[in-house]
Parts: sequence; structure tokens; C-alpha cells
Amino acid sequence: MVEEAKQYIIVKLGEDPYGIEIKYIESIIVMQKITRVPKAQSYFKGVINLRGEIVPVLSLRKKLGFDEVEDTHATRIIIVRLEEQGAAIGIIVDEVKEVISLAGSDISKLNYDDKNDKATYSLGIGKFGDHLINILNISAMAEQDKQN
Amino acid sequence: MDVSQYLEIFIDETKEHLQSLNEHLLILEKEPDNENTINEIFRAAHSLKGMAGTMGYKRMQRLTHDMENVFSEVRGGNMKVSSELVDILFRGLDALENYLANILESTEEGTEDNEDIINALNNILKGGVGGSQETETKVATNTATANIVAQATKDDKHKYKNIKLEEHEINAIKKANDMGLNVVGLTVYIQESCVLKGARAFMVNRTLEEHGEIIKLDPSAQDLEDENYDLDYSAFVITKDTPEILAKAAANVSEVKEVVADIYQLSEVDKAIVTASNEAMKKQKAKSGKVPTAKKSVKQVVNRSVRVDIEKLDVLMNLVSELIIAKNGLISVSSESDIMLDSAYHEQIEYLERITTNLHESVMKTRMVPIESVVNRFPRMIRDLTKKLNKNMELYMTGEDTELDRTVIDEIGDPLMHLLRNAADHGLESNEEREKVGKNPVGSIFLDAYQEGNNVVIEVRDDGAGINVDKIRNKAIDKGSITEEQAERMSDKDIIDLLFQPSFSTAEEVSDVSGRGVGLDVVKTKIEALGGEIEAKTKLGEGTNFIIRLPLTLAIIQALMVNIGTEKYALPLGSIQTVENILISSIKKAQGKEVINLRGNIIPIIHLNQILDCEKLEVAEEEDANELLVVIVKKGERYAGIVVDKLIGQQEIVIKSIGKYIKCPKIISGATILGNGEVALILDVNTLV
Repeated sequence: MVEEAKQYIIVKLGEDPYGIEIKYIESIIVMQKITRVPKAQSYFKGVINLRGEIVPVLSLRKKLGFDEVEDTHATRIIIVRLEEQGAAIGIIVDEVKEVISLAGSDISKLNYDDKNDKATYSLGIGKFGDHLINILNISAMAEQDKQN
Repeated sequence: MDVSQYLEIFIDETKEHLQSLNEHLLILEKEPDNENTINEIFRAAHSLKGMAGTMGYKRMQRLTHDMENVFSEVRGGNMKVSSELVDILFRGLDALENYLANILESTEEGTEDNEDIINALNNILKGGVGGSQETETKVATNTATANIVAQATKDDKHKYKNIKLEEHEINAIKKANDMGLNVVGLTVYIQESCVLKGARAFMVNRTLEEHGEIIKLDPSAQDLEDENYDLDYSAFVITKDTPEILAKAAANVSEVKEVVADIYQLSEVDKAIVTASNEAMKKQKAKSGKVPTAKKSVKQVVNRSVRVDIEKLDVLMNLVSELIIAKNGLISVSSESDIMLDSAYHEQIEYLERITTNLHESVMKTRMVPIESVVNRFPRMIRDLTKKLNKNMELYMTGEDTELDRTVIDEIGDPLMHLLRNAADHGLESNEEREKVGKNPVGSIFLDAYQEGNNVVIEVRDDGAGINVDKIRNKAIDKGSITEEQAERMSDKDIIDLLFQPSFSTAEEVSDVSGRGVGLDVVKTKIEALGGEIEAKTKLGEGTNFIIRLPLTLAIIQALMVNIGTEKYALPLGSIQTVENILISSIKKAQGKEVINLRGNIIPIIHLNQILDCEKLEVAEEEDANELLVVIVKKGERYAGIVVDKLIGQQEIVIKSIGKYIKCPKIISGATILGNGEVALILDVNTLV
């Protein structure tokens, strides 16, 4: 069975490319003034004002366990919304590269250990030309932080 | 026919009718001869039956029908209102409420037939009517005469001929005749299978109005619309056209079985009446010379209120919030540049500010609902509890017209119910005990609501035994919640506050009504979630009083903006008492805590920058190193002093949720957007006190 190709936005942390499925992405904005929220999870940088909506912003670097770097002019916040009417969440990345199409057959699932939660953030590795792209499981990342 | 579009209206109106039935049944139980009440009950039950039938809820219709029969007997004076009867009727209402709940969930009424209630109703009906032979014959003769009337009219389908006209209507007919217009009487027969008789009648009338003017409808336009008629109704139309044209036009409306029409002739008696009164009318006639418009007499009294979906109000409220943010933006832009110097600009900004404030108030008011819609079910509940607990008690309510935001109203019902149940079950002593201590054996529970400044206060009070503070103290020690040492030091008030701790029930026995250990803490949580607070006051032997304070509005508040370190925070103005400059040297240590003595009050000092992990503001520290800026906040009877670095000023802010993804401490109650687009967090200082 051939799965339909999906579109992904390629973002970079340092030199490493990551893919985020395009259907979750609402917009990509430049860095904003972020208001710190005391005692929040360490990877949450705080909240921003997105056209009147308060949106929490997390650092993808910290979430994935990397060291933080200084913001540059290429730093972007990717606004994702998992449900149509649901709350938005902002993800800070070093750079946004391009949009690519990957068929399901281009993505190989990882055999990961359930206990390693960093690995659950990955949906698999996509092959695009010579590059290997780590496809991020955005919903798993967000669900983990959802509080009831 | 698809009736789903009417479902919402059906649900709303059914709720209203059920509530009205509940209230009036309670009155009826106390005043069995109150004619207005029984009429009101009958009317509500009748409408309910009609609506349920229209929507195809057969079980609901059947139950209301049987209840209506009982009401009808009571109205006719053939049946006495007894406590048992009211019990069964209440059970019937509960069953109807269950149907409604099912409909709300699945649009289906469910499969519960409630046979037992219907049987009980029918038994009562049999007993009541059979009990007196006389009434039975009376009913029989009544139906007999009714039959004769029916017989008489049956032969003649022109029912309109038997309708008695009012004087002004006769007048109108006469004038029409004088002007050479036809007055046509019609009787319209609707098909038996018609589902929406009201709508059909409306369509027929509209058709008739195209040809002329309707001067009388029998039954009235309102009754037709409410479907309070059988399958036929009559109309009088002033028209240029012939009766045949009208009849044909009306018969063209679908689901109309038959229309009979003819020129209507005034009887001699009618004519005489008119001539008698015409003298007085002549002047007027000379002035206008016009046929009185039929619309005037047909026009129904229009209700001056509109049903609005709460979501639409939410959208409106959001837009107002946006507007206020935009206004704040304008102000902050102007204060940064030289525009401020332009006085005309300044005036306009002030004008805009007034408008937004008024707009906010108006929108807020439309969202306000009288608390009545929540509390009006309580008398019924207390009646049930009286039976269940075998304690006589009365509920006295005041301030039912006090208004609260709709979102608060929706949430406040459960906590209040809980407090009332508590008062009934634990608060009030048994009737015998009350008599022993010389109290009125019938216990009293009070529910008072009133506005106090920017808050609405709701008090739930009983004249029962009060809370035994020592009992709670001992129990808390037994449970290990506090140590004996702590208990020594705690004031009575502190002890009473323990009641609001999770799983702390003082009832010795767990009863069906309350006392399962989930109670006051849930009430407290809920009220705090609404931005309110609750406290308890009690006097042994005299009763207990639970006082709930709720904010009038949730979305937009006045706040004091402050700097803590480099960050801006908003403190709700409502909880702030004063702002003081305190010498660092005047801060004392007590039990390891920093306190100050402010005009006789010992107030603990809280360093917000430590709680919020803020960076220290180095420069400012240098300037006023010997003084601290302290915001004094008050919660109930207690104070706390909060150290801030700088005051920015007072501002109207819009409260926004911070979302569910980010974890934030309890002290942060939300966020707001400042004039410059930045986000500032709102601190719920009450959590610190």
C-alpha cells in the first residue's frame, strides 16, 4: 500500500534537520518578547501575545535536551494548533528551511525504547535526497504537557 | 415533518414550565384554594403537554396529560390538595425532568414509561371523582350540555356565525359596510394530521391579510400561535374581494382541510348597539374616515426581551476586550511620543476611554442573570429534605433579583445546594431537640443575596446548633491534621477554616443527604475557581452562617500594575487595601517570619521576587535601600504585605487564560495584554494571604 505523501516543514536546530507535519502549523513568526512564567516547566520560555491570544512558547532545544543558544535573526517561533478550536502552542527553532513532501514509504519508523521519552517525540526518520530528517511527533510533545 | 429546529426552544420553554410548575405546586400545597395558582399550574401543564406532543415525545405527553387531568379535577373543585397528592405530582415533575435530561443528551426522551406514577395519578383521579357522587353527575351533565352545543354547531360549518363580537369590532364592520367593503366571515378547518397547527394558522392568516384586513380571530392570534385551539378557527376579514376568493386562497395553504366563508351580516341587535354608541364615535370618524386597521386588533403584545445564545455574548465580550486592549495601546503610544502635548488628541482619548468603559458595562449587564434562576429550585429541595430527614424547616430567601454573570450563575448552583443540604442535615437540630432548648421547633434556613461594592455576597444561614469548635479541634487532632500544640495556638476562626480542608466531615454518621467527607472543600474549590471566597461564622446554639463573596465580572477588572525585578505584574485592585512605604529597619522577625506592625496590625511580609524567582533590580535597590514598597492586601480578616519594586499605575485589564499546556503556580491566575502588546501575568494575591 502506498501512503499518500504528506508535506513537512523542515526546521533546524544547529545543523540537524527536523520535520513538522504541515497540517498542524498555523503560522511561523519571528522572535517576540516572551513573558516568563515563574515555576513553569524549564523548557517553556513563557507566553507571548499572538494577535490577542496568550500562547505558551517552548524551546525545542530544551525540550529535546540540547543546550540553548543565543537567538539570532533566523530564530523563529512556529505556532502549532493540534485541534481546530484548541489552544495554540509556540515552538522555538533555530531556523526554518523549506517545505518538502515525503511519502509514507520514505519514512522509516524507529525502534525505540518506551522509557526514553525523548524518543517518543519522533515519528520516524524521513529520507529526503541525501538528508535524513527526524520527523517530530508534535501531538505527543504537547499531550505530555496537557493538564487536566 | 422535521421539528429539530424547534428543539432548542422546546428545551428552554419546557425548563421554564417545569420550574413554574414546581414553584406553583409548592404554593398550592400551602394555599390549596389559591385560584390563580391552580390556573397557572393548569396553563403550564397544558402548554407542556402540547409542546411534548408537537415534538413527538409521546411518553412525556402521556405523563403530562395524566397530570393535567388531576390538575383539572383540582381546578374544578372536585379534589382536595393533600400532601400525598403533591408528593405524587412532584414525582411526576421529576420524571418529566428526567425526560428532558434525556432529550438534552440524545434528543430522545428515553424508554422509561413511569407507569407507577401514571397509575398513582389515575388512582387518585378515580378516588377523587368517585368519592362524591354529586360531582360525577355534575360532570356528566356538563358534558351533556357540551354535546348539545357541539351538535348545534356541527350542522353548520359556518362556526363564525356563532361568535360574539365586541362592540368595537361591530363598529369596524359597520364602517366597512358604509364604505362598500365586504366583511367576510370564515371558518378554517385544519387537517387532523397537522403537526404545527400554530404555523398553519399563521400562514392562513398571512394569506388572508394579502386580501384584506383581519379584524377578529377566534380563538385569539396568541392562542392560535400557541396552538390553543382544536382543528378549526374563525376569522373576520374586511376586504374588497368576494368570500369565494378568500376561501380559495386560504384553502390553498397546505394541510388546510376546508374553508367555509360568506359575507357576514350584522344582526339587528348588533346594529342597535352600534347606533347607540355611534354618536360618540362620529367625531372621530369624521377626523380619520378610515377603517380601523385590523392589524391593531390582531397585533399581539410583543415581549420586549430577546433570547440570545450565550456564545454570541461571549463573542461580543471578546470584542469589547479587544477594544480595551487597543485603547490601552493608543494610550501607551501617545505617552511615549509628543502627541500627548496635543490637547485635542488627549480629549479624544479620554472620550474613547469613557465609551469603552460604558460599552464594557453594558455588555456585562446583558450577561447578568438574576440569581433567581438558580435559587428557585431550592424551596422544592427543602421540602423534599423536610420529608427525608423528618425535620420541619422553612427556607427564607431574599435578594433573588441580585444579578451575577451568566458563567458564575451556571457554576454557583451546586455549591449553594451543598451548603443548604449541610444546613438542613447538620446545621439544624431535630424538632425535639429544638423544643428542648426552647427554640421554635421549625428550623429556619436563610438564603440572602445582595451586592456589596464590586462583589455579590450570598449568605447561607441556619438557626441551628452552630459548629462546636472544640469538637472540630479534637477531631482534627485525632485525624492527625494538626498537632495538639498547633491546636492550642489556633484561633476559633482557624479551626472553623479546617472545615474547608479536604475530607473533613464532622457529621458523626454518614447520611444520605450529606456528610461523605467530600463537601465543604469542594464548595471552596469551586467558589475559588470563580474568583470568589467563602468563610464561615458560627455561634454555638445560635446557628452557622456561610458567606460567599463573588466578583461581579470575571473578564475585565481594574488592576494595579507593578514592577517586580524587571518584570511587570498585575495585582487585582479588589484585594488591595493600601500601599505603604515601610522602613526596612521596622521589619521584625516573628516565628521565623518577617512581619511589620502597621497601625496596630501585625502583618506578615511576603517577598514576591523570591516566590516568583525574579532577578533583583540592582539599580533601584541602591536608591532607596532603606525603604520597601509594600502593597497591603486583605482577604477576609487577614492581611499580608507584598513587597514590590515599583508602582506603574492603575489600569483596566482583560483577563486571559494562560492555557493548559504550561504549568504555572497557583498564584498566577491568568495573563493580560498590555497597551504595548506585551503580556503581563496577573497575580492572585489572595493565595498568599
